[in-house]
Amino acid sequence: MRSSKRLGIMIGGCSLLITILMLVGIGYAIKDQLFPSVSAQPQVTALPEQTAEKNQLRIVAIGDSLTKGVGDSAGGGYVKQVVDSLAADPDKQAELVNNLGISGLRADQLAQNLKTDKGIAYALQQANVILLTIGGNDLFQSLQGVGDSNAAATAEQSMSLAQVEKGLEEGLTRLDNVLSELHRINPDARVIYMGLYNPFFDVEELRDGSLEVQKWNERAYDMLHGYSNMTMVPTFDLFEERIGSYLSSDHFHPNHEGYKQIAQRVVQAL
Amino acid sequence: MHKLLLLIENETLKMWKKRRFLVIVLVLLVIIPMFTYAQLTVAQNNKDKFADWRNEVLQQITDMQNRLSSNRIPEEWKKQQRIAVQQLQYYLDHDVNPSSPNGVTFTREFMNNAVGLFIPLLVLTIGSDLVSGERGTGTIKMLLTKPVRRWKVLFSKLAALTLYVSLLVGVMVLLCYLISGMFFGYGGWGLPIFTGFTINGSEVDTSFVHVVPQWLYMLMQTGLVWLSAMTVAILALMVSVLVRSTAASMVIMMASVIAGTILSSMSSSWENAKYLFAVNLNLPAYLEGSPPPIEGMSFSFSLIVLAIWAIAGLIVSFSVFTKQDILN
Amino acid sequence: MEQSNVVLQVTNLSKKIRGKQIIHDVSFEVRAGEIFGFLGPNGSGKTTTIRMLVDLIKPTSGKIQICGHDVQKQPEQALRHIGSIVENPEMYGFMTGWDNLQYFANMLDDVDEARICEVVEIVSLTQRIHEKVKTYSLGMKQRLGIAQALLGRPKLLILDEPTNGLDPLGIKELRAFVRMLAGEGISLFISSHLLSEIQLMCDRVAIIDKGRVLAVGSVDELVQQAGTYVLWQLEPREQGIALLLQGGKVAIVSEEEHRIDESVLASMPEAVVTTMPLEDIAHTVSRLVAEGISVEGVHKAAPTLEELFLNMTEGKSLA
Repeated sequence: MRSSKRLGIMIGGCSLLITILMLVGIGYAIKDQLFPSVSAQPQVTALPEQTAEKNQLRIVAIGDSLTKGVGDSAGGGYVKQVVDSLAADPDKQAELVNNLGISGLRADQLAQNLKTDKGIAYALQQANVILLTIGGNDLFQSLQGVGDSNAAATAEQSMSLAQVEKGLEEGLTRLDNVLSELHRINPDARVIYMGLYNPFFDVEELRDGSLEVQKWNERAYDMLHGYSNMTMVPTFDLFEERIGSYLSSDHFHPNHEGYKQIAQRVVQAL
Repeated sequence: MHKLLLLIENETLKMWKKRRFLVIVLVLLVIIPMFTYAQLTVAQNNKDKFADWRNEVLQQITDMQNRLSSNRIPEEWKKQQRIAVQQLQYYLDHDVNPSSPNGVTFTREFMNNAVGLFIPLLVLTIGSDLVSGERGTGTIKMLLTKPVRRWKVLFSKLAALTLYVSLLVGVMVLLCYLISGMFFGYGGWGLPIFTGFTINGSEVDTSFVHVVPQWLYMLMQTGLVWLSAMTVAILALMVSVLVRSTAASMVIMMASVIAGTILSSMSSSWENAKYLFAVNLNLPAYLEGSPPPIEGMSFSFSLIVLAIWAIAGLIVSFSVFTKQDILN
Repeated sequence: MEQSNVVLQVTNLSKKIRGKQIIHDVSFEVRAGEIFGFLGPNGSGKTTTIRMLVDLIKPTSGKIQICGHDVQKQPEQALRHIGSIVENPEMYGFMTGWDNLQYFANMLDDVDEARICEVVEIVSLTQRIHEKVKTYSLGMKQRLGIAQALLGRPKLLILDEPTNGLDPLGIKELRAFVRMLAGEGISLFISSHLLSEIQLMCDRVAIIDKGRVLAVGSVDELVQQAGTYVLWQLEPREQGIALLLQGGKVAIVSEEEHRIDESVLASMPEAVVTTMPLEDIAHTVSRLVAEGISVEGVHKAAPTLEELFLNMTEGKSLA
């Protein structure tokens, strides 16, 4: 009897307290959402500096769809295979910090990201090995998907080949920007740049593309040579003549085997 | 006035003795540890995989961007992803962990996910039989033959319902905090949280973004959760006045709440759906800066829609209840 | 002066539900301290009328006054003076008897714990009042219902079919209880579809059928009006009948005309049904015996409710 009265008062009291609290919350929410105080805008804070331990390989992969691993039926691309085979070696402790590959990324976009994105910089600073693929999209964007289609659009293709030549200079400038940004962010990490290959080696009209690819690789090597911590891993020789077995069905990206070949070269380079 | 208090006490004790609330607490005691465990596993995974949260967020952003470049994904979904990317990027740029694992963050996210469906369902279990239940058992005759005006009877029920909705929200927050805190720690009250993202199409405008400490964010969010729970409660009360059977009243309300969830997740092209109450229940989403389920909805829009539904519900409940003939 | 003596005054009460007239122009009054029967077959509008008395249903037209207060206009003042059980005594099964009473006490004025104890005492539930209502038997629920109705010290107690579902012993207890309450000055309004029930309990009665009040008056008067049958069991039968008719005061009622309860007929096989002045029975018996007719049984049979209605509707149509 009395106890039920007390129970009632207790329930009522607690609930009432919460109700009041809720009303205060709603009041704040309305004030906050409808009349936001702009003065309280947060300052952009600098990310903390990283202290790297030397005895370990901390890998950040960055770049385009090759880094992402597009075309690899097992997923993960060459990056995963590099990390896996390094991890299997007990002397080398390898760890993938981040795989920041984004499909379709061009060198100018990457340079922009490197310049502005603090998160990417943060990850790169943690790394002592940076794997980089970039440039393919700058050079070949107009040609993607060509290998699958029949040769009906030959005229267009040869025109595109002309575009490839034109894109070469611009792409190399962009690559230069990327490299200098990388150097700015982390001058100590080993940067391994994958050279380009010509995915259209088996398409008669585009076979000459290999010459452009070679020019790119040559010039890219020059740039990389300017930085003591950067090296290039060539890939063009892997794919010529073996397009059928190393390229995936989209005729642009490597398949699992193709990635395996790239990964082996990277491991050797390390 | 004293009489009214006694009536409210009556209803409150009656609901307590019905043991419904106890059932709800038991449900929470089962569900919260489950979610805590799930969260713990995720946290554990990420801890193994990433050096710290920045890498984790960075990877999230990269993954989202990759998904965005796929052609197979519907444009509506891409829009949301783009917004999410921009917000995550904002957190990363400002070196604030958007989901640091601690009791408070867990509670915040749990409540955030519960507001659309879970909380309404719990509210319905206490609200749906308030009047129809008394009709079912015939006790309504005992109530209404007493020298008390009918509006006072209904008002006492509404007041008790309000108290229980508050208690429900309060207990839920408390249990979340206590249980998840055992695993994630009890800290995190002072963590900075960003709010004030404004969405224009698929672009996020950050010019109004500001920091609030997590405790204040929690207070605001829980207040909004309470507000949408109250709207559901009032409508449940209305339906239970209008419909004679408790089962029917429960089904009607559940169906509308679930339909609302489906409609909002479909981002439907049926634009008028935005005037339905169930589509507007997710008020905390505006705090968080998630895009609204339907174009043209905003925080104030949802507040007004819910308020109109609630007021209409109250008017209908009271006018029907005070006039209706009790025939069975 | 007479007005203050009236506890419940119902004037020209009508109710339409979904366009259908359920109650037609019902009027009656219940006076202080009397037991008022409300008699009618199932579906006659008894429950609808009772629900209007206790404000569960709003009348379409007409007026209900309880102790001078209009139920429509001043429900709080009017309902204060009545206690009621409409149909079954439904209480909250998940609460104890005591909690239920406490609950209803909170809805009334000036009902304290002492009063709750008092009513529990009156209905003799003291033993089990702290147990949950869902464990109660129907009789106990009935008593708890009455306790609840008595809480507010009502001037009028409304009981709707109170004997429904009770065993004979329970019914007997209930009658005694009703008498006891009346003795304490409470007016009672009791509805039933059984004439015998009303006859045993009530002082005055209103008879309702198809939503109309057919008659209001004292129970004895009404039964009288309807006439009583006298059943004769004679041996030899034919001679006896001839002798019965000799006096000229006795009339034989044919099988088609009378409506006597089957059970009564069964206990008197071959009985002759008659109507006659009741004071002549003794005289007639001695006359028959003197003529050598053996009288094996004489029985006064009250008319059934049906009979009563028939008489009344006939009377009405004649008038």
